[in-house]
Amino acid sequence: MLAAAIRRLAQALFVMFGISVLVFLIFVATPGADPAARIAGRNASPETLAAVRHDFGLDRPLPVQYAVLMRRLFVTRDLMSFVNRGQQVIPTIAEAAPVTLSLVAGAGVLWVIGSLVVGLVAAATRGSVLDRLLMILGLIGISMPVFWLAEVVNLFTQSRWHDTWLFSWVPPLGYQPLTTNPLGWFKALVIPWITLSILFIGLYGRVLRASLIEAYEEDYIRTARAKGLSERRVLLRHALRTSLITFVSLFGLDFGALVGGGAVLTEVVFGLHGVGKLTYDALLNLDLPLIMATVLYASFFVVAASAVVDIGYAWLDPRVRLGR
Amino acid sequence: MSGPVPLLEAVDLSKHYRVGSWLGGRVTVRALDGVSLAVWPGETLGLVGESGCGKSTLARCVLRLTEVTAGQVRFDGIDITRTSQRALRPLRRQMQIVFQDPSASLNPRRRAGDLIAEPLRVHGRRSPADIRVRLVELMHLVGLHPDHLGRFPHEFSGGQRQRIGIARALALSPRLIIADEPVSALDVSIQAQIINLFMDLQERLGLTYMFISHDLRVVRQVSTRMAVMYRGAIVELGSTEAIFRAPAHPYTAALMASVPEAEAEARLPEQLPAGDGRGEMPEATGCRFQPRCPMARDRCRDEAPPLRDLGAGRVVACHFPLTEGEAHDAARPAC
Amino acid sequence: MEVRDLAIAFRTEAGLVRVVDNVSFSVAEREIVGIVGESGSGKTLSLLAVIGLIQDPNAVITGSLRYKGRELIGLAPRRLHRIRGREIAMIFQDPMTALTPVYTIGWHIVEQIRAHADISRRAARRRAIELLGEVGLPDPARQADRYPHQLSGGQRQRALIAIALSCNPSLLIADEPTTALDVTVQVQILRLLERLRRDFGSAVVLITHDMGVVAELADRVMVMYAGRIVECGTREDVFRQPGHPYTWGLMRSIPPLHGAKPRRLAAIPGSPPSPAERPAGCPFRPRCIFRHAPCLDQPALYARGGQEIACFLIPEGSDPEHATPAVDAA
Repeated sequence: MLAAAIRRLAQALFVMFGISVLVFLIFVATPGADPAARIAGRNASPETLAAVRHDFGLDRPLPVQYAVLMRRLFVTRDLMSFVNRGQQVIPTIAEAAPVTLSLVAGAGVLWVIGSLVVGLVAAATRGSVLDRLLMILGLIGISMPVFWLAEVVNLFTQSRWHDTWLFSWVPPLGYQPLTTNPLGWFKALVIPWITLSILFIGLYGRVLRASLIEAYEEDYIRTARAKGLSERRVLLRHALRTSLITFVSLFGLDFGALVGGGAVLTEVVFGLHGVGKLTYDALLNLDLPLIMATVLYASFFVVAASAVVDIGYAWLDPRVRLGR
Repeated sequence: MSGPVPLLEAVDLSKHYRVGSWLGGRVTVRALDGVSLAVWPGETLGLVGESGCGKSTLARCVLRLTEVTAGQVRFDGIDITRTSQRALRPLRRQMQIVFQDPSASLNPRRRAGDLIAEPLRVHGRRSPADIRVRLVELMHLVGLHPDHLGRFPHEFSGGQRQRIGIARALALSPRLIIADEPVSALDVSIQAQIINLFMDLQERLGLTYMFISHDLRVVRQVSTRMAVMYRGAIVELGSTEAIFRAPAHPYTAALMASVPEAEAEARLPEQLPAGDGRGEMPEATGCRFQPRCPMARDRCRDEAPPLRDLGAGRVVACHFPLTEGEAHDAARPAC
Repeated sequence: MEVRDLAIAFRTEAGLVRVVDNVSFSVAEREIVGIVGESGSGKTLSLLAVIGLIQDPNAVITGSLRYKGRELIGLAPRRLHRIRGREIAMIFQDPMTALTPVYTIGWHIVEQIRAHADISRRAARRRAIELLGEVGLPDPARQADRYPHQLSGGQRQRALIAIALSCNPSLLIADEPTTALDVTVQVQILRLLERLRRDFGSAVVLITHDMGVVAELADRVMVMYAGRIVECGTREDVFRQPGHPYTWGLMRSIPPLHGAKPRRLAAIPGSPPSPAERPAGCPFRPRCIFRHAPCLDQPALYARGGQEIACFLIPEGSDPEHATPAVDAA
C-alpha cells in the first residue's frame, strides 16, 4: 500500500513538472517577441529589460533558465513580478487564496446539498411532473453562463432592487475577511455562493438522478425490496450509497479545480480578489512570474484532488479496496 | 514415414495471469498449468469442467487469441505457438470458433448476411455474386431460411442466432471448430436442436470439433473422447463411453453424481465434495483436488499426481484412481 | 398460499400484452413446489407478483393471491412491506449481483432482521452469525464481516439464503437459485433448500428450467409454457407419466447421462413464443407433434388422477406416450 502511495505521489510530481515546463516553454521559447520584453511587461525601460535578462538568465540555455525560474519560485521565494513593479508573487497568492477558498467552500456545501435534494427527489418521483420540472431547471442552470448570471444577479442585488428589503443587506462587491468581520464575510459571499452553485446543482442533480435510476435497475435493489424494506430506505441506503461513489469522485475533481482558481468568472464579476481573478489579471498583463505561480498553484490542487479522489474511491467502494 | 498427426495439439500448455490492483497486491493466477491434449481429425473431443477450470482459456490459447505463457500449440503438426498474427492468417481459415452467447457474439448493428459474409470478405477475394451463393448455401446448412439474411440479430430467436454464429464459423470451410459452451445460453427445448445440428454438420462436412461444455449430458452426446479439467489442469482424459461407464478420477465421479436426473426416483447424491472450486489455491505441492476430495490421503497432500496412463488412451491424474481401466490388468500399486 | 386465476398483462403501444394468463396453484405448509419453464413461460413474473415486486407502472395484475387467508393483490404497500421478507422471502438467480456491494454480509442480515423486529443491533448480529453457520458457511463470524465480492458464488448464495431466512418466513421463493452455480455447488445448495422445511419449517417454491433439479427436490411439480400452466401434479406422476406433449417432449430431448445414447436427440421443433407472438388456441400447437383439430381452441386443465393437464389428448383418453403424431407434424 505504501509503495503504491509513493508511486502515486511520484506521478503527481511528474505531472506538475510537466505542466511547469509547458508553461515555461510557451512563455519563453515561443518564437517571435523577445522574452525579456514579455516578462518585463509593456513599456518597459531598457534598464528593466537588462535587469530582467540578468535575473532570469535569458542569455543562458533553456534548461538553465527553467532552473533559475524554479529556484526563485520555490527555493528563494523571492520571485518578483516585473509588470507590477516588484510585487512579490508568493505573498500575493497567499493573500488571494483564502478568498477563493471561502467562495468555493461555501458554494461547495450549497451545491452538494442542493444536488442531493434535486437528484433524490427527481429519482424518487421519476416520470412525474416534478421530476421533469427539476430536470428542466437543472438544464437551465447548466446552460446559463455563470458570468451572465452573476452580472444579472448583481444588477438586481446591487442596483435595481438594492433598496428593497430583499437585498438591502447586500454589501458592495468585494471580500471581507472572516477573521475581521464574520457577518460581513457571510453577507458578502451569500450571493456569490448561490450564483456559483447553480451551475453545479443543475449538473450534479442530473448526474445523480441518472445514476440513481441506473442503480434502481440493479439486482441488489430488487433484493433490498424483497427484504421488505421501505422504499425510502431502499433509495437512501442502497441506491444512493452506491451512486455516491461516482458523485463523490466527480465532486472531488471539480472542487479541486475550483480551489485552484477555476472560479475565475465568478470572482471577477463579484469583485472577489481570489486566485482566479489573480490568474485572470496576470494573463491580461502577460505577467510570466505570476502566471507561472498561479498555474502551478492550480495544477497542484487538481492533482492533489485527483489523488484524494482515488483514495476516497477506495474507501467508499470495498470492491476496489479489497478486490480479488 | 511419420504416423497420423493430430489436427490440433496442445503440449504442456500454460497460461499465467498477474492480477490485483495496486492497492490490494498482485498475485499470479495459473489459468492453465501444463495442459496436454490432442484432437484427431474427424473426432469430437469434449472438454468438461466447472467455472475456473480453464477450458475457455484453453480454447483461446489454442486459437492464439491469447498469448501462451509456456508450452506449445500445434496445428496439423505445425508449431503455431509463437508465429506472428500475420503468419497465422492463412491458418485461421481452417480453425474457427463458435461462442456461447449468441447475443453477445453477433454485432447487433449488422445484418445476418453481413455477419456471415465477413470471414469471406476478410480472407478471400470473392465477388459479391460468389458470396451470395455461399451465403444461401450456409443458411441451408444451418437450417435457416435464406430470405432472412437481411434481418438483424434481434429479429431472430436465441436458437436462430446461434445458428447464424455457426454459419459464420462454417463460412471458410474450416477443418476444426472449437465450440465454447455453444448451447449453454439456450433454452432447454432448443439445446437439443443445436446439438443435433452440430452432429449433422460433422457428418456432412467431415468436421473436427473441440466441444467445451460444463454440461456432462451434452458432452456425452456429442463427443467421442473427452477431457475433464479442474483448476487449470486435466485430471482425466479418455474415451467418453469408458469414462462414463467407470470414471477414474474422484472429481469426475463427483461431477457425474451431481448432475440432476430427471426421473421419478431421483434423489440428491450422498457423498459430495465439500466447498467449491474457488478460494485460495492449495499449496504448490500436492493434488489440486485434494482439499475437496472425499478420498484424499496423506500422499495426496504431499505429492502432485502425474497423468497416469491406464491404457487404451486413458489417462488420469490421481494416486488412487477409482478404476484401473479396462485394458489394464496388472496388479494395483501399493497404496 | 393460494393463487387463483392470476393474470399479468402489460400496457404497450401495441395494446395489452398478456404475459401470464389464468394461473392457479397452491402451496401447502412445508411443501416444496417446483415450477418449470423456459423463457417466456412467465414463471418468474408470476412469483414476483406474489410479493408485489413488479415495479412497472404499466403492469395490470388481476386475480387472487391469498397468503394465510389474506388477499395480497391490492394490499396497501405498507402492509405488503411487512409481509415481504418476514413471511414470504425471495432469492434470485444471480448471486453475483444480488447484494449491495458496499455493505458486509452481516450488515445485510442485520438490516433485514431489524426491519421487521425491534431487536438490538448486537442481538441481531448474533443471530446473523448463527444463521450463517446454519447455512453451512465455515467460520461464520469472519464471513459476516466480509463483503459480497469476497465470497464465491456458492458462498454468496448461501448468504442470500441466510438473509432470506432471517425472519423465519413461512414461504421461500427461490428463482433459479442454482443456475449460475457450478453443478457440484448446486447439489450443496439444493441440499440446503431441502433442509429448510425440516429445520425451519418453511415451504419452498422453486423456479427452474432444469427438470432434473425439480425431480430431485420437489413434492409437486408445475410446468408452465407461454404464460400458462400446462401440467401439474406430484413429482412421481409428472415424471412417470407426463401428460402434456411439452413436458413429454422436453424429457425426451434431454441427452441421457447413462444408458443408451441416441443417434440424434428427439428435439422439439421451433422455439418458445414471446408474449407478443402467442398463437390463438393452445400455445404449444405450432410445435406439437400431436396437434389436431381441437387444438385451435384453448384447452382447459383436464384432470387425470391427481394430475392436471392442459391438453385435448387427455379428455380423448390418450396421452403423449400412446398418441399417434399428426400427419403434418415436422
